[in-house]
Amino acid sequence: MKLRKKKFLGMFLLVIFFVSFLILQLNFAQQVTQEEQEEKVQVKADQDKIIPSPQNIKESTGIYVFVAWMWIAILVLIYILSLKIREVDRLLKLRFLSTEKK
Amino acid sequence: MKTGIQSWLDERFGLSNITKFLKEKTVPQHKHSIWYYTGSAILLFFTIQVITGFMLVFYYKPTLEGANESVARIMTEIPLGWIIRSVHSWSASFMIAFVFIHLLSTWLTKSYRNPRELTWMSGVFLLAVSLAFGFTGYLLPWDDLSLSATKVGTDIPRSIPLVGAWVTKLLRGGEDVTGDTLTRFFGFHVSILPVFIFILLAVHIYLIQKQGMSLPLALESKKEEVKEIPFWPNFVYRETIVWLLLLGALFSLAIFFPPSLDKAAELMAPAPEGIKPEWYFLFLFQTLKIFPAKIFFLTGDTFAVLLMLLVGILFFFLPLIDNKPAERKGRIITIIALVLIVYAVVMTIWSLL
Repeated sequence: MKLRKKKFLGMFLLVIFFVSFLILQLNFAQQVTQEEQEEKVQVKADQDKIIPSPQNIKESTGIYVFVAWMWIAILVLIYILSLKIREVDRLLKLRFLSTEKK
Repeated sequence: MKTGIQSWLDERFGLSNITKFLKEKTVPQHKHSIWYYTGSAILLFFTIQVITGFMLVFYYKPTLEGANESVARIMTEIPLGWIIRSVHSWSASFMIAFVFIHLLSTWLTKSYRNPRELTWMSGVFLLAVSLAFGFTGYLLPWDDLSLSATKVGTDIPRSIPLVGAWVTKLLRGGEDVTGDTLTRFFGFHVSILPVFIFILLAVHIYLIQKQGMSLPLALESKKEEVKEIPFWPNFVYRETIVWLLLLGALFSLAIFFPPSLDKAAELMAPAPEGIKPEWYFLFLFQTLKIFPAKIFFLTGDTFAVLLMLLVGILFFFLPLIDNKPAERKGRIITIIALVLIVYAVVMTIWSLL
């Protein structure tokens, strides 16, 4: 039961991780309005070098939220995996898992 | 309990043989086990390269007029375009760094010894193809720096006696770097090199599965029994942790340090100051710079290029040269490996100063 719960939590976090990435992408897509595009073309013509960075505060906040969320998800997944490793290593020690060639 | 779809697929593809193989596969567990994770890290970055490459190719235009403009469009107009380009660029660096680490760890642990000679040789080919990917990809944004670096890079083979001029012409698609070179490099980058890398990867992975994971020489000579863990699930769980950490590092770097883009290159414009290739070519670049104009009866460039070719050939045939790794010759080859690592690091730092 405990194992199933952890598995569910792991899958849930993975799904949230990818869904948040997709939402972020949709959000970006909506932000690129005609006006902003014209502005960007003007900026591009004015400068020689393009240094990519968030275009506005909304985009910038979105990126910080995404990075923070990504690292939290990674740390939680690593914690769950470390528990799983401990468990499968214990099973190996108890000979429930085998390394012998059949 | 198999579902209907699983049985249907199994009847046609024989998937149960693969799952049986993965269930029975084991991985040695010892103090050098960390090196086993570098191979799968390369596969991770290669997969990211393929996915982001597909995304970029939808918008990239490999023409003299359109190349720089299309990259600028990807970076400024396409939603998340700058992150995709940045991930592609950073992932390439990560992949090549891990290819170097993977090969050097194989060298230092002498894992290329009998019967794994062909695994090493296919690995050296994979390094060459990875570097070729980096070299051809560097020109694609078509800015001042990439054009000048490609001019320098494609001029290097010219120093090879007899075939040099022909190789340079083949790479450039003419006497000089032009729009034809750009189209040619794009062709190499998205169609010719991928075919090579897929074939080489298939051979390399097949050989690893056939021979099994190698033990470091020092451990094997002790003749003690080494602990093994099942590939599934014990090793895969550990590997997933490494993948998650690498993905986190890749996305963080790609978001906070994205590569910039200079203005479109002009073919007739003088070369800008401070031309430098990508970091993985810096030690070769610096080596070429330090050679004197004339050595014996050869020009400095020809001497340096021939020397590099010789080192490359020796590197490829290393398992055959180092055929007695446990003896004195093997120890000398290990020292040479360490000296070469220090040399490459020093030259890279020197080039950056």
